[in-house]
Amino acid sequence: MTWADVGWLVLSVGLFLGFISFVVLFLTYAERKFIGRIQQRLGPMRTGPFGLLQPVADAIKLLSKEDLVPGRADRFLFWIAPLIVFVPAIVIWVSIPFTRDIVIENLELGIFFVLAVMGLSIAGILMAGWSSFNKYAMLGAVRAAAQLISYELPLLVAVLGVVMIAGSLDLQVIVAEQNTVWYIVLQPVAFLLFFTAGLAEVGRTPFDIPMAESELIGGPFVEYSGMHWSMFFMAEYANTFAIAVLTTLLFLGGWRGPAPATGWGQDVMMAFWFLTKASAVILVIFWIRATIPRLRIDQLMSLAWKVLLPLAFANLVMTAFYLFYGWPDWSIVLLSLGLLMATVYGYYVRRRSRLPRPVTVKLRVRQGRIVG
Amino acid sequence: MVAEADLQTVDMLLNMGPQHPSTHGVFRIVLTIDGERIVDAEPHIGYLHRGTEKLCERENYRQIITLFDRLDYVANFNNELVFVMAAEKLMGLEVPERAQFIRVILAELNRISSHMLFYGAFGTDIGVLATPFMYGFRERERIQQLFEAVTGARMMHSYFRVGGVADDLPDGFTAHTRALLDELKRGVQECDRLLTYNEIFLERTVNVGAITGEEAIDFGVSGPVLRASGVPMDVRVAEPYLVYDRFDYEIPLGKNGDCWDRFWVRIEEMRQSIAIVEQALAMMPEGPFQAPVAKFGFVRPPRGDTYARAENPRGDFGVYLVSQGENTPYRVKIRGPSFCNLMALKRMTVGHYIADAVVILGSLDIVLGEVDR
Amino acid sequence: MIGFFKSLAVTLQSMLRKPVTVQYPGEHLPMSPRYLGFPGLLWDDAVDEPACTGCLVCARYCPTDCITVSMKDNPLHKEGKSKRRKIVDDFQIRMERCILCGICVEVCNFEAIAMTDYHEEADISRGDLIATKEDLFRMGRDYQKRAGIVVGAGSGSEGEE
Ligand code: SF4
Ligand code: SF4
Repeated sequence: MTWADVGWLVLSVGLFLGFISFVVLFLTYAERKFIGRIQQRLGPMRTGPFGLLQPVADAIKLLSKEDLVPGRADRFLFWIAPLIVFVPAIVIWVSIPFTRDIVIENLELGIFFVLAVMGLSIAGILMAGWSSFNKYAMLGAVRAAAQLISYELPLLVAVLGVVMIAGSLDLQVIVAEQNTVWYIVLQPVAFLLFFTAGLAEVGRTPFDIPMAESELIGGPFVEYSGMHWSMFFMAEYANTFAIAVLTTLLFLGGWRGPAPATGWGQDVMMAFWFLTKASAVILVIFWIRATIPRLRIDQLMSLAWKVLLPLAFANLVMTAFYLFYGWPDWSIVLLSLGLLMATVYGYYVRRRSRLPRPVTVKLRVRQGRIVG
Repeated sequence: MVAEADLQTVDMLLNMGPQHPSTHGVFRIVLTIDGERIVDAEPHIGYLHRGTEKLCERENYRQIITLFDRLDYVANFNNELVFVMAAEKLMGLEVPERAQFIRVILAELNRISSHMLFYGAFGTDIGVLATPFMYGFRERERIQQLFEAVTGARMMHSYFRVGGVADDLPDGFTAHTRALLDELKRGVQECDRLLTYNEIFLERTVNVGAITGEEAIDFGVSGPVLRASGVPMDVRVAEPYLVYDRFDYEIPLGKNGDCWDRFWVRIEEMRQSIAIVEQALAMMPEGPFQAPVAKFGFVRPPRGDTYARAENPRGDFGVYLVSQGENTPYRVKIRGPSFCNLMALKRMTVGHYIADAVVILGSLDIVLGEVDR
Repeated sequence: MIGFFKSLAVTLQSMLRKPVTVQYPGEHLPMSPRYLGFPGLLWDDAVDEPACTGCLVCARYCPTDCITVSMKDNPLHKEGKSKRRKIVDDFQIRMERCILCGICVEVCNFEAIAMTDYHEEADISRGDLIATKEDLFRMGRDYQKRAGIVVGAGSGSEGEE
């Protein structure tokens, strides 16, 4: 490794870090604007034109806030926990390709590396909850641990289906393999599983149970303030972006899209398609966040273990048959859709049998007297 | 390996409130939890005690109206109404018909705006990021603008007077209200579609905090919470007051008495209130809006006592009024529906999860101003 | 699943609608003519003196006891220019305690006080929240001009003392 290599590495890492920070800042703005519009509000409007400087103002506010440590907290763990959450959220970007050429270091085990490193943040959240000396934080941390561990499994097994079809763990190969048809067509079940489990991984609604604003007042982060809190915050948004990017890479054909065959225009168009798709996924995440109520912890667990995991395994077996016997493409599409339909039907059957159907009566009142 | 029975676990005390985002004010509940499950729940109230009942003993009848505004601060008209009805009953006062219609219209509109607040708060409790809250407040804002046009204030109106109302309706009131009702119909429909049959919402509310009709009666529960348990009890029908015996409407009843039923009953009540206001607008006569009483409403009801009650958004709101013939009451006892509904909280929450406690509290729709008085 | 997608459709629909936000300090909602803002004192332009005689009725009936009034002999009455034998000397309303109920306006026999539409009187210290006589006349006279209220035109001012 020459000095030039080192210099290049430092430069590209710096560029990527800068890009990720920018994306995170912009996402906070975009989310507030988007959810504002959903609620027929304007969202931030005061700082800068259309409130564009709002993230900057927020950052300054957070930086200048006092970094409180609760009196009886475990100071060391309390201090280090945000770092443990933050670092993996950044490290994964090392091996995520943005276009065919823009990537810091493409790993052959790319998707494996990304998912493995993402899983590390549980430790940090658990530490944060434990060290805060707060019952709400503790409850939140335990919830988070349970949730993240349960959702890791369907996430991984769902990804396995894609990996089997592509025949590689290398994200660039996976995208390259989608040249005829995107994997969302071949693997709709895996797509839904990945998206759902991904939402749970990053703790977005309807799976924001660890943070649960209305129950646990922010869960593990309740005692944090200032810079430490903003690290959790940035990690959350970076992870959201990561899930969107991974969904794009694995299922939506990555940077594929109409583009000139050669030259710099190709790279630009690739990056454009890539970011467009990722933004679309992110908007869907925001949209869901503003619409759907939160699940309860027991429902969350039974969803993971009783629905998502069996589905993921069924998908895996289905894909294996498809690959081994060389079935035509449409067969797996039909099979997947059948599986999804069966799941939805099963849900309705279960709801009928388990929960009382909401029954409602209306008494008619005429001239102040009940007439039935 | 240790057998599960040998593991020593202790229950944990979890203090919710008085500074907690979903206790709807300054309510405090101490939960004893076993993991996520609630074994015991002990409500603590009194953080918002302002001594309203005592204050009533030294303020005159006109001034007390301002105190009643501030009891249940999202159903101001309904509170004022019960107090002025009590005083009128004591004085044997005949209220002009127009005033009665004005009171019905405003009280029913206030019921809608109160239920809209419930809708928003409940949606937030259940974990939607403020969208129901904003929808609810969007509709509330429209109603409050009408209130401002009528009374000059958006919330603390002090508009009802013993013997009538403070002023006649402003010009263009009927047109304004008709337009408002059209928008409200759309708004209620939208709120309904956003949550009511959403699967996750159903999962979270159906069979949560269920309470049977008999139990509800035993606890003294009233209003939508009681009707959600299937008890057909509505003061507007049971003991008609004002001109409620002239309208055609429906009383929604639940069956399971769970959070979903309470939610649905309120959504449906909003529709029925709209229907009542429509009929009242069509039937409203011309005429005086105030019966001749003492100047400025400084009345002196004769010696005696009386009890007046009305169907508030939260339930059966009652005022027991004792007068010694002075310009101030001798004693005013308030029966707050929120307070009585809160009694059932423990019965509803025990055995459920922490998350359910928040939802159940939300479904009771308490207003602390009325609980603590 | 149907309800799930219905919910998503509702939020999407409302996103396409126009936001209802009114950007407050720049724009204001229309205020109704009956708006109850802070009470202000009115001015008798015919005689060019306050309409208030300092009779203390409002102070007595204010439910929060937030009015302080004192009266003095009216010099203009001695000169024969005014019907008011007594006139307000000092008048204060504690804005932080006033609940904007309008009772003071209802009970005043001299049409001397009115609910103005002033509502942005927030301040950062308690002392500044005491509206002095000057503040009250500033608000009242401005409101009087805009609303076209003429003191003495109505029935109230006949009841001298
Ligand atoms: S009641 Fe009227 S005249 Fe008497 S002190 Fe008050 S404002 Fe002045
Ligand atoms: S508006 Fe009410 S509270 Fe305010 S000064 Fe007048 S009487 Fe007192």
